[in-house]
Amino acid sequence: MTLQMPDINFTAMLPITIILITAVLATILGFFTTRRNIAMLGITGQVLTLGSLFFLWDQNLTSFAGALQLSNVSLVFAGIILIGSILSQLTSLDHASRSNLNFPEFDIILLYGISGTLLIAFSGDLIVMLIGLEVMSLSTYVLATLQESKRSEEAGMKYFLLGSVASAILIYGIALIFGATGSFGYDSIRQAIASNTFQNEILLLTGSFLLLAGFSFKVAMAPFHQWTPDVYAGSPTIVTQFMSIVVKTAAFAGLISVFLKALPGADWILPAQVILALTMIGGNMAALRQAEIKRALAYSAIAHSGYLGLALLANPELGIPALLYHLLGYTFANAGAFAVVAMLQQDDRGILIPKMRGLYYRKPLHAISLAIFLLSLAGIPPFAGFVAKLVLFGAAFQSGYIAMTVIAIVTSMIAFVYYLRPAVLMFMPAEEAQTLEDRPFPNSTLTVLASVAATVVLGVLPNWVLSLFDNPIVQQAMK
Amino acid sequence: MIHLLMYIPAMAALLLVFTPGATKKYLAIAGTLLAFIVNLLLWQQGGADTTTAPWVPTLGITYSVGLDGVSLLLTLVTSFMSLLCVLYAAFNVERPGPMLANVLLMESGLLGIFASRDLILFYIFFEATLIPALVMLAIYGGPRRVQALTKFAVYTIIGSLFMLLSMIGVKYYSGAASFALADLLAKPLDPKVQTWLLLGFVAAFSVKLPMFPLHGWLPEFHEENHNSGVPDVMGTLYKVGGYGVFRFALPLFPDASEELRIVLMALAAFTTLYAAWIAFQQVNWKRLLAYAGLSHMGLVALGVFSMNEIATTGALYLLAFQGVYMGALFLAVGMVNSRTGSVGTHFGGLMDDAPVLSGLTMTLWFAAIAVPGLAGFIGEFSVMLGAYQVSPWLAFLAGLSVIAAGAYALTAYQKTYWETKPQGTTLLKDISGLEGLILVSAVVVSLVYGIYSSPAIALIRPTVDRLLQGLGG
Repeated sequence: MTLQMPDINFTAMLPITIILITAVLATILGFFTTRRNIAMLGITGQVLTLGSLFFLWDQNLTSFAGALQLSNVSLVFAGIILIGSILSQLTSLDHASRSNLNFPEFDIILLYGISGTLLIAFSGDLIVMLIGLEVMSLSTYVLATLQESKRSEEAGMKYFLLGSVASAILIYGIALIFGATGSFGYDSIRQAIASNTFQNEILLLTGSFLLLAGFSFKVAMAPFHQWTPDVYAGSPTIVTQFMSIVVKTAAFAGLISVFLKALPGADWILPAQVILALTMIGGNMAALRQAEIKRALAYSAIAHSGYLGLALLANPELGIPALLYHLLGYTFANAGAFAVVAMLQQDDRGILIPKMRGLYYRKPLHAISLAIFLLSLAGIPPFAGFVAKLVLFGAAFQSGYIAMTVIAIVTSMIAFVYYLRPAVLMFMPAEEAQTLEDRPFPNSTLTVLASVAATVVLGVLPNWVLSLFDNPIVQQAMK
Repeated sequence: MIHLLMYIPAMAALLLVFTPGATKKYLAIAGTLLAFIVNLLLWQQGGADTTTAPWVPTLGITYSVGLDGVSLLLTLVTSFMSLLCVLYAAFNVERPGPMLANVLLMESGLLGIFASRDLILFYIFFEATLIPALVMLAIYGGPRRVQALTKFAVYTIIGSLFMLLSMIGVKYYSGAASFALADLLAKPLDPKVQTWLLLGFVAAFSVKLPMFPLHGWLPEFHEENHNSGVPDVMGTLYKVGGYGVFRFALPLFPDASEELRIVLMALAAFTTLYAAWIAFQQVNWKRLLAYAGLSHMGLVALGVFSMNEIATTGALYLLAFQGVYMGALFLAVGMVNSRTGSVGTHFGGLMDDAPVLSGLTMTLWFAAIAVPGLAGFIGEFSVMLGAYQVSPWLAFLAGLSVIAAGAYALTAYQKTYWETKPQGTTLLKDISGLEGLILVSAVVVSLVYGIYSSPAIALIRPTVDRLLQGLGG
């Protein structure tokens, strides 16, 4: 009798293995060394993982019979996730002690969370995706609560309770999809739907609606977005930064894989349109009334989920590059913005927007960089956000979703008001001098400078990234 | 050379950040002077042919720039006025550093606008002028600037986004390979989709032109800006709406422009009259100038939308030179303010103490209200003449604004400069050498181009002819 070996491709597991080994090492070393060393170890591990992605480029590897898929698109997703996580860990180096997070467990949990996000990006079936999502979510719940403060405990609790419900909804959805198609793998689900070899269409539809609802929670789309402002505002700022970039990118990676790879034939376009419209309108309108910068950025994150969701509707060969480009620009802008907020805030409650008045005269570089990030988020040239919105809205427009494009454009006009208000306030002479801590934050400054550079370069030379997608292998992967 | 022209000011602005306080002003002056000289050289060479290079090929965005006659004239005016502004600001504004940097950035943006031959590139420069304008208003603005700023930002950005939507639409419906103007013109659009695309462009350009009912931001923007008038000059310069309509909207949407011609002209004629009427009631020089500018811009719009060659030439002539004399008037208001501490029109008696300043200001006002022999007359007269051939009634209506202009300008001038001086005020200083140089050079330009207009017309005319032939008109 011949032994049936499972299909395991160790090369394909390289990125996840590196990050897991780093995490385990960090866990062990955490007993012996300082938090700073652990964080440096974590950053090294993430940089190595990022490097391994270049090695895997264009190889289109799979493992475990397709349960892990390393297409170029998923590699780009993983790359954006890692850039975001490196930036947030770098920022955390300066602020952990002030935020009462100065223990190695913080970085260790962060690393486990990142391994979950990579699992989502490389997932080839629903179960792997779910495992990744749960690893990521559990880490984030803990990160949100880790600080010993009522606000952060409340935030973590809220996140945990609502997040569990969302996970449950997702699992029901997965179960129903499995019931309808008899498979968990993205490819076989798609084939089953395409060849119409299944009986129960209602099961499939209900399943995809449940999946849509579950993911809408994870990426903060209306009407499942209610947790976002409270959790963002209540969590320590460095955790908020992580959530707003890494978790969101990962959740979008999962959303895109499931709906474009597994369920392109199912009938979810109409509910998705309703959800996206609600998200764009609700997020932007609510952001107008925020007086606190972290809450405003939380609503901005909701609004951006709406724009990003347009990629779901558009033709994949237009939508996916647009989505990735937008996520990249958004990662840098948000990482930078939260890093600036972390440097300026007195405590983890963030800063009231009116208090930012006159910042330029005391901290000119902070003010200029924050203004650049806000302008990029608003989509004003020559920053990354402009090209991102151009490609994203263009993709939706060219795929025939004209009404959605108009909603997106009109709501981003509304958005200008709340992005420009703090951006401009900072340049006005202050009426009263605010006391500001005059401590250097070398690592956060590095994050900010890197983000400014990336935001400008991506805005002026977008071709560097966009040409990645001209590659025929990428084009193939997107279809 | 053309790239040099576009980026010299921006590079100077960047360098300003790293230079210590005292040398800032000289660096800024050097930057604008150099840009002006480069511009003159370009003029001598007869402009620059359009060069196109791919920029973001995946999206069809090209880096396409060129300078033909119209653009050349407008860039000349821009670099000339920027030079005057920097000269004035460097020695008359406290803490001039950020203002100089912003003026330089704005100059680059404006030169970019006039040089772009690609829709997205144009859009980027169009928006790029917004940021320095906002920052100047934020740093140097008056007490109610937040409101002015919000209004200004919301109006312009909303307009621009409609334009962006139209731009995406133009490329999509024409099926052209890129956003380059030449590519788009090679593939005419179906008349059916032209109308709404044109309306998108008109929405954006009417904000910046500005035209009723999208002018709401204008008076407050000028009123709240710094008293020196420097930000206002740059503000009058980027009224690039008229140019945008001429360069992009008309050639891209010939059928829709033809169809909407009378409606748009009527709106423009109404704007001129309406603005003149409001200008008459102003007691603040800056608001008065804002509305006067609005009235002139209505004439520019009337000329451009009429699609008549004389009117269009006149409109562009007016657009170019109103930048000079209105800009200089804003600076003159700044000079009055630095002496009297007010920008109100009620002051009185300035003529007694500062006759040179008053005389130069009066000449500039004469240029603004289109007294023959000064630059304003040629522009306004040509607009009227051409518009009359298209619609006599609308031309007549707009013509009333010329009379109204005389009324509002002279009433206000008389109050500030001629009426008796309030008792107990100290003797005011007359104009300084630098201020004199600035105003005199603006007066000279207005006078020369009021008498000898053919060099400017020769620049404008070929472009206009080529464009209108393309429209079959």
